[in-house]
Amino acid sequence: MTVDFVQSANQITLDMKSKDLRLLVLDALEGGGRGHLGPALSLLEIVRALYDSVLLHDPKFPLLPIRDRFILSKGHGCLGLYTVLADHGYFPTSDLKNFCSFNSNLGGHPERATLPGIEFSTGALGHGLSIGIGMAMAARLRDEKWRTFVLLGDGELNEGSVWEGAMHASQHQLGALTVIVDFNRMQASGELDSIVSLEPLALKWKAFGFDVIEVNGHDVAQLANVLGASVELFGKPRAVIAYTVKGKGFASAENSTAWHHKAKISGDEIALLRKEMNA
Amino acid sequence: MVYKLAKTDPRIVFIGSDLGAGTLREMREDIPAQFFMEGISEQHVVGFAAGLAQEGFIPYINTIGTFLTRRAFEQVSIDIGLHHLPVRLLASGGGMVYAPLGPTHTAIEDIGLMLSVPNMKVFAPADAFEMENLLSTLVGDEDPHYVRFGKGGESIVTQEFTTFELKPKIFGNESAEIIIFTTGVMLQHCLDAKLELQTQGFSTTVFHFPYLNDLSIEELDSYFGSARVRLCVEEHVPRGGLFTQILHELISAGKPLTNLYQLALPDSFSHNYGSQMDHLDSNGLTAPKVVAKIKELVSGSSKSNRMRT
Repeated sequence: MTVDFVQSANQITLDMKSKDLRLLVLDALEGGGRGHLGPALSLLEIVRALYDSVLLHDPKFPLLPIRDRFILSKGHGCLGLYTVLADHGYFPTSDLKNFCSFNSNLGGHPERATLPGIEFSTGALGHGLSIGIGMAMAARLRDEKWRTFVLLGDGELNEGSVWEGAMHASQHQLGALTVIVDFNRMQASGELDSIVSLEPLALKWKAFGFDVIEVNGHDVAQLANVLGASVELFGKPRAVIAYTVKGKGFASAENSTAWHHKAKISGDEIALLRKEMNA
Repeated sequence: MVYKLAKTDPRIVFIGSDLGAGTLREMREDIPAQFFMEGISEQHVVGFAAGLAQEGFIPYINTIGTFLTRRAFEQVSIDIGLHHLPVRLLASGGGMVYAPLGPTHTAIEDIGLMLSVPNMKVFAPADAFEMENLLSTLVGDEDPHYVRFGKGGESIVTQEFTTFELKPKIFGNESAEIIIFTTGVMLQHCLDAKLELQTQGFSTTVFHFPYLNDLSIEELDSYFGSARVRLCVEEHVPRGGLFTQILHELISAGKPLTNLYQLALPDSFSHNYGSQMDHLDSNGLTAPKVVAKIKELVSGSSKSNRMRT
C-alpha cells in the first residue's frame, strides 16, 4: 500500500491550475532571490484543495468568526500558501515579487501580524499542532462547528513537541481537528530514513489515537474528498498522511535536497525552472 | 484566586501541567470546562494556551517556573510573545524555593529570560495579598504576563497598598541615607533589614518593584539625593534581573550610578540543597547579612562595588 502511494504521487501529472500556481511560486522566488522551493511544491495541492474546496473562508473577511482555521505548521513551505492566498484574492499576486524584501508582508515564514489570511506565525517547527489543539478546544468550548486543520512537515515530526500535542489531541477527543502530514520522505539533509525514519508512520498516528487516512498528496480531488469529510466536535482527531514529492512539478527539483532552500537564486536558475514548467 | 476570577469571567481558563492531586479541586468540580490538567508537556501547554488565547480566552498556566522559562522558552517567546496574547504564566518557586530539589528546579535566571521577551510583562509580587491585587487588577490586560511567586505562606507585608499599580511600592521617605531596591519575596527580608538599620541609626527607604519592565526609576530622583548607599537585593543571578534593569533605566535617563551596589545569587548553579533560607543565608541575602554589608559599604571598608559570594 505504501509503495503504491509513493508511486502514484510521483506519477500523477499536474493540471493547468497547479502549473499556474507553480509559475506564481517562481515569481516569488525570483523576486526574493531566495526561498524554500522544494518544501512549498510538495504541499501545494494540499493547500489548494483546502482553500478551493474544503475550508469555509472569505478573502474579504479574513477573520470571519465562523471560518475554518488552517495552520501551516511547516512554515517554510509558505510559498505554497502565499500563492494560493493570492490566487483567492487575499492580496494582489503582484505582491509576490516582493517576497522577503525589507518592507514586504511576505516573509520567508508566514506571519499573522503582517499578512491577512495567516492564522498563526510559524517557522520554528513543532508549534502548530498545540496551537491548533487550543483553537479546536476553543471551538468546542463555545459549541462552534468550525474545523481546525494543521499541516505538518514530515521532518517536523522529529520535534518531540508534535507528539506532546498528538497525545493531548487524542486525550481531548478533538474530532474537529485534522492533522495533515506532508509526507515527501525527505528533509534538509537527505532522505528521512537516513536521518530519523518515521515508519510505520500511519501506525504511529493510529497508536496515538487518531483516525488515519492515507492519500495521494497531489490528487486534488482525492484530497478535497478526504479533507472535506464531515467531522464531529467529539471523537478521534484525524491524521491524513499525504504522500507527496518534494519539488513536485520541476524535474530538476523533484526528490532533491538541492532545492530544499537556496539563499541565492540566479536568473538562469529561474529561467531553467520556467523552461521545465513550459516543456 | 484564578478560580474566583474564572467564576465571573468565562474567558478565563486554568491550565496545569500534572500538578499535585487536588489542585484547585473546587474549580475542577464547579466549572470543569474552564479547568485543564494537561500532562508533563510544558511546550504543548504553552502552545495550547496560545491557541486558546488567539480565540479570545485568557489562559492562566501554573507550573514550576523553570519548566515555563527554560523548557518552553521558544513557545513563550514565539507563541505568546510574538503573537502578543493575554496568557498568564504563574510560575511557582521563583529563586531558591525548590532548593531541596536541586538546580533543575531553581528559577534563578527567570526574570532575565522573561524580560527579554518583547511584550511580556514581568511581575514578582512580595506576598499573596499583592498577588491577588495584581491578578484582579490586570485580569483584562492584553499583554502576556509572567508572575514569579515563592512557595506561598510568606508574611504579608504590602497590606497598606490596597491597589495594584505598575510602579514601585515605597517604604520610607525622601531623606534616607540608605536605599534598598528589591523585588518579590525578598521584600520581607529587606524590610527586616530596614528595621534593624533604623535601630542602629541609619535612615532607610526600601523600594519594592513588583513590576520589572519599567521601574520608573527616573521619577525617584528626590529619594536619591541624600543616599550614601543604594543597594539592590535580589534572589536572582547577577545579570538580567532587577539590578540590570536599574542600570539600564538610570543610564537611559542620564542619571548618576554612584553608590550603586548589588547583592544577588551567584552566577553559577548551586550544588547545595537544604532550604531556601539556607541559600539566602549563604549568599548574604538574609536581613542580618544585608545589614552587615550595608554597614561595610557605608564605612567604605567593602573591597568592591559589586557583590560576589
